[in-house]
Amino acid sequence: MASQNLDPAASSAALKGSESNGSSARGSVSKRLQQELMTLMMSGDKGISAFPESDNLFKWIGTIDGAQGTVYEGLRYRLSLDFPAAYPYQAPRVKFVSPCFHPNVDEQGFICLDILKDKWSALYDVRSILLSIQSLLGEPNNESPLNTTAAELWSDQEAFRAHLHSTFQK
Amino acid sequence: MAAPVNIQTPSKTWELSLYELHRSPQEAIMDGTEVAVSPRSLHSELMCPICLDMLKNTMTTKECLHRFCSDCIVTALRSGNKECPTCRKKLVSRRSLRRDSNFDALISKIYPSRDEYEAHQRSVLERLNRLHNKEALSSSIEEGLRQQARYRNHRVKKPTQESDNTTFSGGEDNGDTRSHLSHDSAPSHAPNAPGLTPSEAGPSRKRPRASDDGSGPEADSGSPTPPLRRHKEGPGSEIELVFRPHPQLVHGQDYNQTRYVKTTANATVDHLSKYLALRIALEDRHTDREAEDQRKEEGGGGGGGEEGAATGGGEPGGTTGSGGEGSSLSDISEKQYTIYILTRGGQFSTLNGSLTLELVNEKYWKVRKPLELYYAPTKDPQQPPPPPQLPPPQKSPPIQREG
Repeated sequence: MASQNLDPAASSAALKGSESNGSSARGSVSKRLQQELMTLMMSGDKGISAFPESDNLFKWIGTIDGAQGTVYEGLRYRLSLDFPAAYPYQAPRVKFVSPCFHPNVDEQGFICLDILKDKWSALYDVRSILLSIQSLLGEPNNESPLNTTAAELWSDQEAFRAHLHSTFQK
Repeated sequence: MAAPVNIQTPSKTWELSLYELHRSPQEAIMDGTEVAVSPRSLHSELMCPICLDMLKNTMTTKECLHRFCSDCIVTALRSGNKECPTCRKKLVSRRSLRRDSNFDALISKIYPSRDEYEAHQRSVLERLNRLHNKEALSSSIEEGLRQQARYRNHRVKKPTQESDNTTFSGGEDNGDTRSHLSHDSAPSHAPNAPGLTPSEAGPSRKRPRASDDGSGPEADSGSPTPPLRRHKEGPGSEIELVFRPHPQLVHGQDYNQTRYVKTTANATVDHLSKYLALRIALEDRHTDREAEDQRKEEGGGGGGGEEGAATGGGEPGGTTGSGGEGSSLSDISEKQYTIYILTRGGQFSTLNGSLTLELVNEKYWKVRKPLELYYAPTKDPQQPPPPPQLPPPQKSPPIQREG
């Protein structure tokens, strides 16, 4: 993963985050998470929210409301966000806590979303992750489904909605 | 409509966006015109999008002109894709970046005292964190109590007096206003804290609840002495109680400490009363002797033993304490103090000395919190001890606990 061809002076100066060694790295991660928390609370986005689960800043619980005009409208989902020590250089582990019937979400709640995997960028944050998942709800990628039943049912929106609402549990 | 003929050769075409087609150069401001910029928009300009902090050793991508802290972008390129974190433009190597010292100069011009800014930012974040993190608050309270308990344990962990078959633990240590204050400020937590090690704190907290569960249903029916789970548990079961001075009968100059006691459930009211008399006598001896002991610290084993007994109160089965027992201690009697409980009507009713604390808890208390009892010197003792051997607090007021 790491390039072999780096200026050693530069790499020793760049211990922030990815190495996750020592308290200074952890300190800078919590600082960023605190910043995110503050922005999130002040921005007041509708339809998404997130807050640390306990006094551990590295585990958050988020909620997503299904977007208007989608079959998920009126449903609220809980997710867990688990931040690695190398955050934001490494994506957080995000999964649904509430059961979610969706082509790109499996039974354990794992989400197939490129920005949480190889397309991750250090610029993404809790807010953009939750907004992305919210839009994924309404626009699934049916090419690579985790839940094939959901992917097949998607073409029939009314049936999908009916199934969704009859099986929904918080 | 025919498309306009493209004069240029295709390979030379510049693909310009609409913005680029229509933009006109900005006039440089040469006069004294001042432009106001809101702190927020300024902040987003000076902020590194990776660490969300102010840019430090700014690096700019050569092609897409996005700025990052040097540390941040180098780490990002090493740990992720070789592309600009902001726009995904390919960044082949560090040579796709250049140091932006002009920008660093700009920042230090706007924020000459960056350390101050960072300190301010830290304090804001900390405050925010405190305010919005109830869990952190409650865990820090718990940690505080635990530390107090540890501190207390440290001081109290000396052999102490054993009264009959019943062991009393808890109480508070002497001459420590801080811990006394903590009792007042956090009475609901305090009963668990004194004299307990953190490992004890867990299970002991559950014990009174278990007993309350047993007596809970009885509170309505009022039937006498329901069988409790604790009966089956045998002699090992314990009870926690708060032991306060009687608000009407104990006056300012009397011994008036609130004690938090944990003991076996088969202890009787008489045990408790004798324990109290003993504690008061010991503490008084302790305060009397303290000055002396300080002088002849190395003096003799007897003095040390007595002091150990006087400070004690947390550990069962003390042997040194009984060795150091002086003449006045042998006259201690459970008749010196009367124990009261506040009944539902707001009356203080005297408790019979032979009642076990378990029975008291079941018959009178019935609430989901540690038992609360009140004490006062017995007004008309049946066997009054000779005056010089009365519990001394009446002649010498407690020095540390006036307030």
